[in-house]
Amino acid sequence: MGGIVGIDVGGTFTDLFYSSDGIRVDAVLKVPSTPDDPSRGLIDALQAAGIAPSALDVILHGTTIATNAVIERRGARCALITTQGFRDVLELGRRDRQRMYGMTGVQQPLIPREMRWEVEERLDHTGQVLVPLDETHLRALATALAAEEIEAVVVSFLHAYANSSHEQRAREILREANPDWEIVISSDVVREYYEFERTSTAAVQGYLQPLVSRYARNLTRKLEELGFDRQTLVMQSNGGLVPLAQLPGRAANIVRSGPAAGVMAAARLAADAGFDHVITGDMGGTSYDVAVVVKGTPRIAETTELDFRIPLRLPMIDVHTIGAGGGSIAYIDRGGTLQVGPRSAGAVPGPICFGRGGTSPTVTDANAVLGRINADQPIGMKHLARLDVAAARAAMAALGAPLGLGIEETAEAILTIVNHVMARRTRLMTVEQGHDPRDFALVVFGGAGPLHGAAIMREVGIRTMLLPPHPGVLCALGCAVADIRYDLSRTVERPVLGQPEGLVRDILAGQHRDGEARMQATGTELEAIEVSHAAEMSYQGQIHTLRVPIEPSWTGAELISAFEAVYRQEYGNTLGSVPVVIVSLKTAVLGVRRKPVMSVLAAAADGAIAAPRARRPVHFGRWIDTPIYDRADLLPGMRFDGPAIVEQPDTTSVIEPGMTARIDRHANILIEVA
Amino acid sequence: MDPVTLAVVRGALEQIADEMDLHLIRAALSPIISETNDCAHGLYDPVTGETIAQGGYGLPMFLANMQFTVQRLIPIANEAGGFREGDIWICNDPYLSGTHLNDVVLVSPYFVDGKLFALFANTGHWMDMGGSAPGGWVPTAREIHQEGIIIPPLRLYENGKRNDALVAMITANVRLPQQLLGDLAAMTNVFAVGRRGLDALVARYGVGTLRACIDEMLRRSEAEMRSYIAEIPDGTYRIEDYFDNDGVDDVRLTVTLAITVSGSELQFDFTGTSPASRGPMNISDATTRSLCFVALKHIFPDVPVNGGAFRPTQFTIPQGCILSAAYPSAVGGTTDVTQRVVDVVFGALAQAIPAQTPAAPFGTTGVATVSGRHPQTGQYFVAVYPYPGGYGASAASDGLVNGTPPGSMAKFMSVEMSEHRYPVRFRYFGIREGSGGAGRHRGGCGTRYGIETLSDTLVSILGDRVDHAPFGVEGGGPAAPNSVQIETGGRRWIPPMRSKAEKLPFAPGDAFHLASPGGGGFGDPLDRDPALVEADLNGGMIDMATAESVHGVVATVVRTILDRPVYRVERDRTQERRSAIASTLDPIT
Repeated sequence: MGGIVGIDVGGTFTDLFYSSDGIRVDAVLKVPSTPDDPSRGLIDALQAAGIAPSALDVILHGTTIATNAVIERRGARCALITTQGFRDVLELGRRDRQRMYGMTGVQQPLIPREMRWEVEERLDHTGQVLVPLDETHLRALATALAAEEIEAVVVSFLHAYANSSHEQRAREILREANPDWEIVISSDVVREYYEFERTSTAAVQGYLQPLVSRYARNLTRKLEELGFDRQTLVMQSNGGLVPLAQLPGRAANIVRSGPAAGVMAAARLAADAGFDHVITGDMGGTSYDVAVVVKGTPRIAETTELDFRIPLRLPMIDVHTIGAGGGSIAYIDRGGTLQVGPRSAGAVPGPICFGRGGTSPTVTDANAVLGRINADQPIGMKHLARLDVAAARAAMAALGAPLGLGIEETAEAILTIVNHVMARRTRLMTVEQGHDPRDFALVVFGGAGPLHGAAIMREVGIRTMLLPPHPGVLCALGCAVADIRYDLSRTVERPVLGQPEGLVRDILAGQHRDGEARMQATGTELEAIEVSHAAEMSYQGQIHTLRVPIEPSWTGAELISAFEAVYRQEYGNTLGSVPVVIVSLKTAVLGVRRKPVMSVLAAAADGAIAAPRARRPVHFGRWIDTPIYDRADLLPGMRFDGPAIVEQPDTTSVIEPGMTARIDRHANILIEVA
Repeated sequence: MDPVTLAVVRGALEQIADEMDLHLIRAALSPIISETNDCAHGLYDPVTGETIAQGGYGLPMFLANMQFTVQRLIPIANEAGGFREGDIWICNDPYLSGTHLNDVVLVSPYFVDGKLFALFANTGHWMDMGGSAPGGWVPTAREIHQEGIIIPPLRLYENGKRNDALVAMITANVRLPQQLLGDLAAMTNVFAVGRRGLDALVARYGVGTLRACIDEMLRRSEAEMRSYIAEIPDGTYRIEDYFDNDGVDDVRLTVTLAITVSGSELQFDFTGTSPASRGPMNISDATTRSLCFVALKHIFPDVPVNGGAFRPTQFTIPQGCILSAAYPSAVGGTTDVTQRVVDVVFGALAQAIPAQTPAAPFGTTGVATVSGRHPQTGQYFVAVYPYPGGYGASAASDGLVNGTPPGSMAKFMSVEMSEHRYPVRFRYFGIREGSGGAGRHRGGCGTRYGIETLSDTLVSILGDRVDHAPFGVEGGGPAAPNSVQIETGGRRWIPPMRSKAEKLPFAPGDAFHLASPGGGGFGDPLDRDPALVEADLNGGMIDMATAESVHGVVATVVRTILDRPVYRVERDRTQERRSAIASTLDPIT
């Protein structure tokens, strides 16, 4: 196997993971991202790592360009064409507000009202044509729009998931008017009901397609110039890859590809280490992302809200984000209670100890005051040689005084509170799905994750925590270990009993065929194609559905009993004789790639006690003279006990008193409560 | 009190209530619970009934209502031998538990070592409780019995065993008994979720520490609430607003509110409000008080939700008025009456703290129900479409379009899903142009939609705000009022009560057309940024006449796209026109 490289293009940094033989890790690095042309940052990373593209078999990468374009509203100027009478579906949403409390704020639809148009046509929910498409009017509209500065046209008709002929005809007419447009029809993007969610998803696709197409073209050209003629695969938010050439048509599918890649990598590392129930926690400067992996498979969310009234109805790895990070600010509320976050000091002004003008005490300041991070070797700081611990101490003193707390007590209180906030969210992720968090291993990563993982693990009652070798660039690794994936789905909305003979089987078989055809079109060398089916099911009348893994050959009785088993797992009971409904049928087609075998290192020092590089006082309830380890010194088989600090270029890890650590064959640190 | 333990215990208690919310929202059969979160869960003090913690996912409407309900149930339970292990109490008596008959409350005591430690309570909206119209919205109800069955406070479970006779009595009197049983089971199961969480907390901290933390939590929330009230200038702020009618007599109803702020105390005085209506436009005093807190929390979103926050407030609600319903008044208009309570609190406080307070939102939940037998399945159905509408503008922003009522988080059903489930067809569903109140910040526009029925059905509509539009503040204009039109046999007509109509028989092809109000404007429309006026024109949110006369801009059509004009507002000439208007308005010059 030749070289592989995984690259995660984030908003601030582009991370790279490189293996020259698919086994050994040869390079891990971070370079600044280049938001004006993100493909440049990727090329920069390759060059910084000294990698000759011609020596690579495959480039795998994730990117936040799509996410950021939506959040910052930097996408394409689009027009939307809807069924007569439904021009505003995209803006209206489904009657809500931004927050439960607070009446202020408005939404910013991706396609403004002046660029939303209507055309006579109407289908019913079975797909029957009630009003034929008014082609004459549509042609006139297309001609008028051709004179406007528009890059993409989105078409979303009511019930198009049941019959896409009007949308397809509209696409032909639009294409005749302007062959340069990117044209998106809703039935191509989502084959399911719920007009607002489908229209929104189609609008996201149209909004991103020109940008993503440009990106794909630029990247392809630059890689060709460097002599790379093999395959580039891009991470999607469902945790699967897609070839660069297919990227433009799947622009909406790569929103949040970075966090998905992180979860994939964490799941893979944990599986190799022997854990298939995993909670992943990614903590950075402003947020904590948590996801759950059950039996090796990350949980999938069917709909994700990208921003207020911008739902995306595509399968995405279910990653929950809360405002808890190194920059989270501690304060005393009006009732006199200490609180931490969700307000963050951000990168600028940042924590007090970073000396960039920050004046509010943050989680990072608490870590600095307690000696948990090394004040003499600030990570990622070029502008200062030493953290300003004295200033952070002064802020702790001021914050703690009204509470009657000393400096270290205040800092510990901040950590306890922020750790609890993260632990609560972590617990909710498992408990709300009927799992016991004690059955899970915790994989923490991100710049701040390893500082807090031990406390989260203790609070949630998790037995084992895994610290990957390179927690700061896990998303880049995630790209390298993923497979190619296509998700297909179709609304059924019928009771299980009493539907036409063979309906389930026929729909699933069709989706299976479509998925395989797309897979063949990738031209990727695959070890296997794996197909799995699921049904979204509910009791009749329920709005929320459950995803139930099924087989095409199953009878109605088998489908119902599978649903009941999942329902019982989730809610602890069933609802007896209430009829069960299949809302939609889903098929996932996975193209299993040849992948790097995660380096298995010989146990260099079985049971040997690791030797610290230094010692320094670290506060764990009191000041304790604590051993400081260099991650590079920790070899498979070694052990050590907490309290301990492990330092490496991309992060600092805390092992609390009463915990033990050992290094496994893959150079992960496994931590357990003794 | 150790500040860290306090923070952790508070978080853990809130988490228990949150987990209970999430559990029911996902497990309920009633689409009103599962899609619109029409439920609430919490822990309450077993002696004072004060809220210890309430879930963050349930409806705002129940914010304080749950506490008031529990407070009234405690003496009733005590007279019946007190709370005992294995008991679950049930009640939907709205004079006691607030809102309407469809909101059923369950209360489950929690014991530690045989001693009563707390009460768990929840409420969930059940689709149908019997009565003369499906769904409980009876616009012409003259007494509660037309709205459904009343379940007085009773032990649903005794010693862990369900009273099946009671359940049979209930299911025999409702239209969707199977669904009701599912919801009852789901609500009962949620208590196990709560108990597990509290068990873990008791095991970790012990009863003594928990009790001390809870007392301190409530004390601090009270201090927090007082600090907000203290920032409102002392004084009395008055407002009066009106309902169209009660659906029975075509006479307007008055809501009168005087808010008096003195130091850190807040008094709500509803003296002058109309006596109980003959129709269903009544709510219980518990609900009135709860909605005052909802309004406060919309103005100060960071105020914590527990009993301490309710302490610095006092209420005067005259007995027998529309805001303190007593037997046998009908209460099905709760969805509209509650909204008006929020509106008047906004209207009064906007005089004191305009920088924080929004103008009136659309102010009517205008519930339309379509019911009948589905022609394909023969099964009975009730489809419920509650109004969306515009929000009032504020110092911070324009108003939102298609908002949910301030006391609610309920969504509007998907058009496509509606057409799958019910014999209905939407003809249109869109923004109601020109319906937002003018102002420096514009109120959000209302929503208009037309629904045609495809089989024989009964249609009822229970709304308000046709005669009295949502108001603007700080010089902002009012929004467009509500509009209801019925189309039967090819003829369009307005119902005699304008915003209310009951059980109209619809044949296939008949339809109703609703246009909800927008929100009020904030500030002088002449101060609106000309660029925003231009955007409003191009988006069709206002017309040229409004732009010129109300906003004082000079705009021209620069071109058209198909038949749609593209406007440009000319900045210099707009400046001149506005100066001219200002000088004619200014009495000194």
